Amino acid sequence: MAQKQHADHIYIEALLKNNSRVLSKIYEKYSYKIVSYVKKNNGNYDDAQDIIQETLVTIYHQAKDKNFVLTCPFDAYFYLLCKRRWLNELKKRGNNRVTILEDDTSITEEQEQQVEETEIFEQQSQLFESKFKELGEKCQELLKTAFKIKSMEKVAEILGVTYGYARKKKSQCMGKLTQLVRNSNEFHQLKAY
Amino acid sequence: MNEERYIAFDNYINKELSGSELISFEEKLKSDSDFKQEFEIYKALETSLVSKFENEEQENALRKTLSDLGSKFIKSENSTKKKGKLISLINYKQLMVAASIALLIGFFLFNNGNPVYSDFSSHNTLELVVRSENNEALVKAQEAFNSRNYKEALEQLTTLTNSNTKDTEIELYKGICFLELNIYVEADVVFDKISGGNSVFVNTATWYKALSMLKQEQFEACKYVLQTIPESAEEYKQAKKLLRKL
Repeated sequence: MAQKQHADHIYIEALLKNNSRVLSKIYEKYSYKIVSYVKKNNGNYDDAQDIIQETLVTIYHQAKDKNFVLTCPFDAYFYLLCKRRWLNELKKRGNNRVTILEDDTSITEEQEQQVEETEIFEQQSQLFESKFKELGEKCQELLKTAFKIKSMEKVAEILGVTYGYARKKKSQCMGKLTQLVRNSNEFHQLKAY
Repeated sequence: MNEERYIAFDNYINKELSGSELISFEEKLKSDSDFKQEFEIYKALETSLVSKFENEEQENALRKTLSDLGSKFIKSENSTKKKGKLISLINYKQLMVAASIALLIGFFLFNNGNPVYSDFSSHNTLELVVRSENNEALVKAQEAFNSRNYKEALEQLTTLTNSNTKDTEIELYKGICFLELNIYVEADVVFDKISGGNSVFVNTATWYKALSMLKQEQFEACKYVLQTIPESAEEYKQAKKLLRKL
């Protein structure tokens, strides 16, 4: 895919490289807007800080796993992600009585699409993670070791089983996980496939 | 559970299939949509979990950086505001003495403090009437704005935007009214919208966004906004002047 990188892609790079000098620009430039939005809608400084941090960590993972390329200005993309995250958080807290102040920040179709991509990515990761936790303890441990170490020979050694058995068990656990994901309601709501 | 199937998935991902096994696997991917869907999930799970466990430490390091930045930029905003309220009345007298000394020193070090909004907030007069048909709200808005009655001006401009939706200049002046009335969120929304568009008011809106930051004493944000004003802009000179003082 030949996607044209926007100049603001430096922020994505900075997340990947944990470059605090560049990352501080995100806070300097964009946080005030998000803070004021959160504060206007039943939140405080801590909430705003959490929202900003979780949004950035999500973008980091998306960049890491999917080579996410930012093709629009960071400002509106980031603001919209934070805003929607905060609205979700309010819903979770059961604050249905709260009237949401709508601001009409205009966004382009492209920005909307990028925001959606990130949101779908996050929903998918959350689904995978929650299903992983539904696996039995042995499966969880085996998969965690396998994915961390990668060499199945070493994994077998650590767990004190044969290589063949470790491989077979890994496939079984992954198969179980695949089915858990596939049969979940959340999976059917995801448009990613 | 179809165990064979998952073993095949694993072998395929590890590139351990060859010959007829490989061919029949890939055939099945093409022809069997159920098989394909399961494989896609399996593969996505593997990518996602590998990344999660492999990058755990890196993620934690990033979180540390972000929470440091968060407390630096977001919490400090909070604490400076609180400090302002903490001056107790008992210290009032001492404070007055200190203030008069400060004032005295201030005369000598005139330029050292942070610049203030009012130094830079001379607005162009609103001149809308000439270009369109006479309209009561328009006249009232113009009179109110030019005599600095921003509350009235805002009301009139709002009635105007309700009937005449897409006039960027009116939007801009509404933004200025918001700013004058310290309704920052609304003001910033207006300025952001216009400065992100492609009207002739882009630079003016950017300049006002900077002024809004200045008025809210967000000096760093103000600096950044100012730096985005191009040399060709009418506002460039003012922007440079303000930048020097920040």
